[in-house]
Amino acid sequence: MTPFISIQSVTKIFQKGQSLIKPLEDLSLDVPQGEFLSLMGPSGSGKTTLLNLIAGIDRPNSGKIIIDKREVSGLSRAELTRWRARHVGYIFQLYHLVPILSAYENVELPLLLGKLGKAERQERILAALDLVGLADRADHRPAELSGGQEQRVAIARAIVHDPGLLVADEPTGDLDRESADGILKLLGSLADDHGKTIVMVTHDPRAAAAAHRSLHLEKGRFVESPTGHSVSASPSR
Amino acid sequence: MKLALLALKNLVRHRLRSLLTTLGVSAGMFLYASVQTMQHSLAVATEAGAADTTLVVYRENRFCPATSRLPEHYLSVIEGIPGVRQAIPIQIAVNNCGASLDVITFRGVPPETLRAYNPEINVVEGTYEDFLNQSDGALVGQHFARRRGLSPGDTFEAVGVNVTVAGIIASDSPQDENVAYVHLPFLQQASRVGLGVVTQFNVKVERAELLQPVAEKIDETFAADQQPTHTRPEKAFFAETAKQMIELISFTRWLGLGAVAAVLGLVANAVLLIVRGRVRETAILQTLGYSRWAIGWMVVIEGGLLGLVGGIIGVLGATAFFHFKSFTLGNEGLTLALSPSLPVTLSGLAVAVTLGLVASLYPAWKATSRPLVQSLNA
Repeated sequence: MTPFISIQSVTKIFQKGQSLIKPLEDLSLDVPQGEFLSLMGPSGSGKTTLLNLIAGIDRPNSGKIIIDKREVSGLSRAELTRWRARHVGYIFQLYHLVPILSAYENVELPLLLGKLGKAERQERILAALDLVGLADRADHRPAELSGGQEQRVAIARAIVHDPGLLVADEPTGDLDRESADGILKLLGSLADDHGKTIVMVTHDPRAAAAAHRSLHLEKGRFVESPTGHSVSASPSR
Repeated sequence: MKLALLALKNLVRHRLRSLLTTLGVSAGMFLYASVQTMQHSLAVATEAGAADTTLVVYRENRFCPATSRLPEHYLSVIEGIPGVRQAIPIQIAVNNCGASLDVITFRGVPPETLRAYNPEINVVEGTYEDFLNQSDGALVGQHFARRRGLSPGDTFEAVGVNVTVAGIIASDSPQDENVAYVHLPFLQQASRVGLGVVTQFNVKVERAELLQPVAEKIDETFAADQQPTHTRPEKAFFAETAKQMIELISFTRWLGLGAVAAVLGLVANAVLLIVRGRVRETAILQTLGYSRWAIGWMVVIEGGLLGLVGGIIGVLGATAFFHFKSFTLGNEGLTLALSPSLPVTLSGLAVAVTLGLVASLYPAWKATSRPLVQSLNA
């Protein structure tokens, strides 16, 4: 079966001053559709770089990234932007909601790029907010919400345009335990019940344990996890 | 449209910042529109067109209306010159012959001739008959009346002349809007120049091409007379006699340019600060799939809206200011009404929006040129 995400011998190089930094080197990974994958590793291990490549925010120096049968590593910046708008939902550690907009308006942002009418947008926004349990907070601004609620709004924003791929960068990193568990449960249900493929970067072993599979990165390569988690870059399911 | 609404939300929900920027823009645009109003008023008063067929006959070497004294009987001679359509003797009395912002000008004319000579005069309050029937009656230009708060029935005194307002007149001619027409014999006696003496003759010729030959003929006719004349088109006279005023107003062009530069800098600075304060927010939008064009467009729309709102307040403020204050610049008895005009208002609004848009181009480029990954980590 063709994997939903196929990363083939990807290398990413950054130039920092006079020196070259290689956060990822010859990395390969397959992720089937509907899998909830966590990426762990110390700071500077390349996990966020890998997440950005998967999300189409950045492009590799070499290798291929194929997502949902489309090679995204060869797309131009403008093409990547259009692709992201349709196929990717991004969840940030610090939620990154637009402070002057209400929860409803924040969730609406991805839909403003499409051709949906107001009524259809409203239907989708309320459905997304309902799914994350915040339909009654639609008119609240981010400052009026708790951290957990803000992250739920961010998740609603990430799923409102029905992307096949969700990428999450430390989505529970700024939350208390209870809120974090709620977010992880929500992400799990998006993968299990809605068929979303989720790639999550985390430092938290408890968050990683909520995923279907966990991979450990160090110096740009997958390694044996110190806690004995799976190191296979191929899916076990 | 959806992006424009998003840009509008950004402005509306940062009320204080938007308000302060808008106030700055409106102050600059007020100054710009004021300067443009002066320039436009001057252009209307001095630029001759094909429709201008009026000559003014003064005493040669006159400095001020008070020094121009011509015999009233010249009228019949002037009317007999080929090409002359109509002529009217006028006695002028002014309160200030130098440059002034509050000139009061009385024009003494034969009351029975005024309407025939000047059919564009429209009595908007009071009646022409009241003017004809009252020897001390005055038809006051509405600009003048507004400036002085005059209504029919009011009496006022200036230059030692007491008159009763018989009517308020409107006219397409800026000069008519700023004077008080009174009976010629009344003014001749009240200003003590004596009966039979006038300041000038206004002469209408058949068509614009005849202005020059008729002027030459009039001056030639009276060259050997005791009171030689100097005849020029009305607007040329204004341009000549009000040179200092024109220089002063021409100088204000630099103030206008300064106002434009100030608005440009203000909007550019405000939008640049907005963009800098929103680096990560911009990156989030790009992550969500907003293209660089969309981001840049929103920034430009914000600048354009700041320019538009500031322009509406500033330009309309200047329009209202000149409308209600009714300023009149005067020199040697000729007046220049600083009147708001639709072309100035519309061009002021267009300039404000254009400045807003242009000033936002660099901030828009800054907002979109930074690498996305770098902005996300900002």
